[in-house]
Amino acid sequence: MKNRLRDALKSSRADFTELRLERSITSAVSVRGRRLEGATVSTDEGGFVRCLNRGYGWGMASFTSLDDLPAMVARAHELSLAVRLEAPIRLADVPVCEADVLLPLGDDVRGIPLDVKKRHLESLNALMLGRDRRIVDTQASYRDEIVEYWYANSGGTLISELRPEVTLSAVAVAREQGTIERALESLGRRSGWDAVQDREDQFLAAADRAVALLTAPRVRGGTYPVVLDPKLAGVFVHEAFGHLSEADFVYENPQARDMMVLGRRFGGPDLTIGDDGSAAALRGTLPFDDEGTPTRNTVLVQNGVLVGRLHSRETAARMGEAATGNARALSFRHPPIVRMTNTYIANGRGSRDDLLRDIKLGIYACDAQGGQTYLEDFSFTAGHGYMIRDGQLAELVKDVVIAGNLFQSLDRIDRIAGDFQWNELGGGCGKGGQAPLPVTEGAPHVRISEALVGGGAA
Amino acid sequence: MISRLLEQAARRAESADATLKSDETVTLLFESGRLKSSSWSQERGVNLRVRSNGRLGVAGSTAASTEGLVEAALASAAIGEEVDLILPAPAPLPIVRTHSPAAAAASVDDLAALGQGLVERLAQDGCQVNVTVERSAGSVRVANSRGVEATYDVTAVSLAAEITRVHGDNILMVGDYYAAADLPGEPLVAALAASIRRRVGWAERVAPPPRGQLPVLFTPAGSTALFLPLRQACLGKAVLQGVSPLGGRVGARAFDPRLTLTDDPWVPGASGSRAIDDEGVPTRRVPLVQHGIIDGFIYDLETAARAGVPATGHARRSTFGKPQASYSNLMVSAGEQGWKELLASMPDGLLVDDLIGVGQGNVIGGAFSHPVALAYRVIGGEIVGRVKDAAVAGNSYELLGRIAGLGRDVEWRGSLALPPILLEGVSVTPR
Repeated sequence: MKNRLRDALKSSRADFTELRLERSITSAVSVRGRRLEGATVSTDEGGFVRCLNRGYGWGMASFTSLDDLPAMVARAHELSLAVRLEAPIRLADVPVCEADVLLPLGDDVRGIPLDVKKRHLESLNALMLGRDRRIVDTQASYRDEIVEYWYANSGGTLISELRPEVTLSAVAVAREQGTIERALESLGRRSGWDAVQDREDQFLAAADRAVALLTAPRVRGGTYPVVLDPKLAGVFVHEAFGHLSEADFVYENPQARDMMVLGRRFGGPDLTIGDDGSAAALRGTLPFDDEGTPTRNTVLVQNGVLVGRLHSRETAARMGEAATGNARALSFRHPPIVRMTNTYIANGRGSRDDLLRDIKLGIYACDAQGGQTYLEDFSFTAGHGYMIRDGQLAELVKDVVIAGNLFQSLDRIDRIAGDFQWNELGGGCGKGGQAPLPVTEGAPHVRISEALVGGGAA
Repeated sequence: MISRLLEQAARRAESADATLKSDETVTLLFESGRLKSSSWSQERGVNLRVRSNGRLGVAGSTAASTEGLVEAALASAAIGEEVDLILPAPAPLPIVRTHSPAAAAASVDDLAALGQGLVERLAQDGCQVNVTVERSAGSVRVANSRGVEATYDVTAVSLAAEITRVHGDNILMVGDYYAAADLPGEPLVAALAASIRRRVGWAERVAPPPRGQLPVLFTPAGSTALFLPLRQACLGKAVLQGVSPLGGRVGARAFDPRLTLTDDPWVPGASGSRAIDDEGVPTRRVPLVQHGIIDGFIYDLETAARAGVPATGHARRSTFGKPQASYSNLMVSAGEQGWKELLASMPDGLLVDDLIGVGQGNVIGGAFSHPVALAYRVIGGEIVGRVKDAAVAGNSYELLGRIAGLGRDVEWRGSLALPPILLEGVSVTPR
C-alpha cells in the first residue's frame, strides 16, 4: 500500500498533494425490544486526494474504488486549477513524519465471533426489559470498528495506523398510560472487547431512570444556580466554548478575530479549558490528525485568559499560529476540517457537596442527551436533574434543558470541583455535514451561578 | 451485476433482494465570498438481504467486486431474527420525475457561476458570506428474487448560503438552502437571497424578549421542533413498539381540523420523490393526518409484516444495514392566511425562525424547550427587532390541537413542505 501511495504522489503535478486511504471492518449489532434488529459485519474502503497549487484553491476527490487512485490524483489537480485565488492558501509547517502506529487494541474485537457479540448485547438488553413492567421498549446497540489507515503527503509524511473503536448504547423507554419517558446510557472508547465488559449497571440504570422519570415533575422553567455533573459539564464546555475556539470560524472574519483575540478574559481565574488529542485511549484520541500533524494537548483558556485555539495547517498559517493537530475528517468521504478531540475543563478543588452547600434553590443537572451551539448561544439537554433545596439534593425533575450565552455562562462559573472525569460517551460531534465524529469531553462538577433552564411554564 | 448477485443468493436462500446505488457528486465551497475549493466524489454501494431458514440477514459493500457478499448476508441470517417476510412481485409503477438532464450535464464552471451569482446577491459590508453548491448525479437499481427489477436515474442539486455577522460580542448567523432534482433558475436564486437578506434586515435592531404564554408564529424553517414528534409518532415501527402517542388512535381527532399532513413521494423533482422504494414496493401517497384526524403510518416490509398491515413503499436502505422506513416528501397542507395577515393577528408575540437543540431529549413525548437561535419580536403586527436570550417551550401535540393561523404560502425545506403556522399559548422565557 505504501508503494501505491508513493507512486501516486510521484505522479501528481500539483504543488502540494495529500492522500488518505482507509479500509474499515465494522461489526454492528442492534436489538429493539425483544427482537434482534440485525447483526452484520461489513467492510468499507476508499480514498481521498487533496491538491493545492499556487494561485489556486483546493481540489479534492473521494472514491470507493482504490484502483482509481492515479486517476483521482489527476482529477484533484484539475479541480484545484478550476479555482483561481488571489490570496494564496498557505499551510503551516509541521514536522515530516514517517510512522507506523498501532493504537492499543485491547482485546482485539476481530477475534470475537459475531454471535458472541450478539449474545452479549442481548443479555444486557434483557436486563432492561426485565427490570420493570413499565419498560415497554428498548434499543440496545453494539458497534466495533477497526480502521486500517494510511496518510501520505508530498512533503514526505507517510503514516499508517490501525485505529480501533468500540461503542455501546442503551435506550430504555417506559410508559404508563399516556406518559412516555426514555433514558439513555452510552459508552465509547478507542479500545477493544474489554471496554464493553461489566456494563450491567449502566443498562439497569437506564431502565430505572426511565421508570423514575414517569412520575417526576417537569422542571419549572426559569433562572437558577445550576450544578453540572462531570458528563454534562463536559458537553457544556464542548458546546459553550469548544466550537468557538475552532479557528475556521474566525480566520477569515476580522470581526470574529477581534472578538476571540488571545489574551481576552473568559471566566474566572479558576477556569482552565483545553483539548487533548493525545490523551490515552479516548474516542477523540489519535496520534496524528488527518493532515499528518501530531496531536497534542492545546490549552485554550488558562486561568481565565484565552491563550490558544484549534487549528488546521491552513487556519494556523493564516493566523500566524502553530498547527495543533485538529484537522479531522469523518472518513475518506470527507475533507479534513477543524474539529475538537478530547475537550476538558481542568480540575478545581473540593467535592460536589461543597458546590451544593450554599445553594438555597437550584438544579443539579446530570447526564448529557446532547447539545447544540450557534457559537454565541447554545443549548444542552440533561438526561435528568434534581432540585437542590437548602444545600441538599431533593426531588428528581425531568426535561432539564439549559440555554446559555457563551460570554455570560463562562463568567458565571463560580465553583469548579476537584473530581475530574472523562465522560466516555458513545455519541459524537456534528459539523459541516460530518457526523458523528468521535470526540470525548471531560470535566469535574461545575457550578454556574445563574442559568436559564427551560421546562414548563414559569 | 445485481441480477447475478441475486441469482447466487437465491440458490442458497429462500429469497433475496438488493439495491445498487451509485453517484458522482461535485461540491463547490465559497468561503468569505470567494470560491475556495472544488471537490468531486464517487460512491457506489450494494446492499443485499437474504431470508434463509426463515431468518433475515443483510450485508453491504462499497467494493467493486461482490465477492463474499452472499456469504456475509447468510452469516448475518444464521443468527438473524425469524420474519414472515414476503417480497413484492413486479407491479406497475407510477411515473415520478427524479432526474434532470440539465442538472446532470452542468459543468463545474456552470455550478461555480450559480454559486457566484448567489454570493454577489448576498455581498454586504461587515458580513461573511459562505455558499455551498452541490450536484450529484447517479442511479438506483432495485431488484428481488421474485422478479422485481427497476432502475432509475437521480439528480440532486443543493444550493446553501449562510451570512455571519459579528458586531462586538453579538453573532448573527442567517442561512437558507434550496434542494431538488433541478438546477434552481434565476427567480429561485433571487428568492433565496431575498429571504436571507430580509431576515438579516429584521435583525438590525435587537428587541427585548417578551415573557409569558404568547402567540408565536413559526416560519417553515422554525417549525422543525413542532413537527419532529409527529414525524417520530407516525413511524409504523414506533406504533408497533407501543411508544407512539398516536398508536391505536387511527380515526380519532388528535389535532386542529386545519392540520393535514401527507407523505407524497410523487412530487415531480422533489428531493424525496421516487416511483419505487428500496424494497421494490411501488410508492404511494400516504395521508398521515387528515383535517386533524389520524389516518395512517408508514411501514417498511418487515415492520408491516410484523404489524399485519401492508407496506407503504417507504423503505430506504443505505449500503450498510437493513431497510428502514423513512418519509419521502412530508407536506403540511396550506391554510388561507397571507404573511401580513398572520403577523397582524399578533398584538405582542414572537416570530420563530430557528431554534437550538431540536431533536434532543424525549422528542416523541411532544414536550420541547429550546433557546431561540433566530427569533423576532412582533408588536402590533410589526417586526420590531431580533430577540436574543429567550427560550420557547410547549408540547407539540397540545399546541397543534388549536391552530391560531395557517399561512397560504407553502415553502420547501429539503423534503419537507409547509406553511407558516401561528400557535397560541407558547411559553416564552427570557434569560
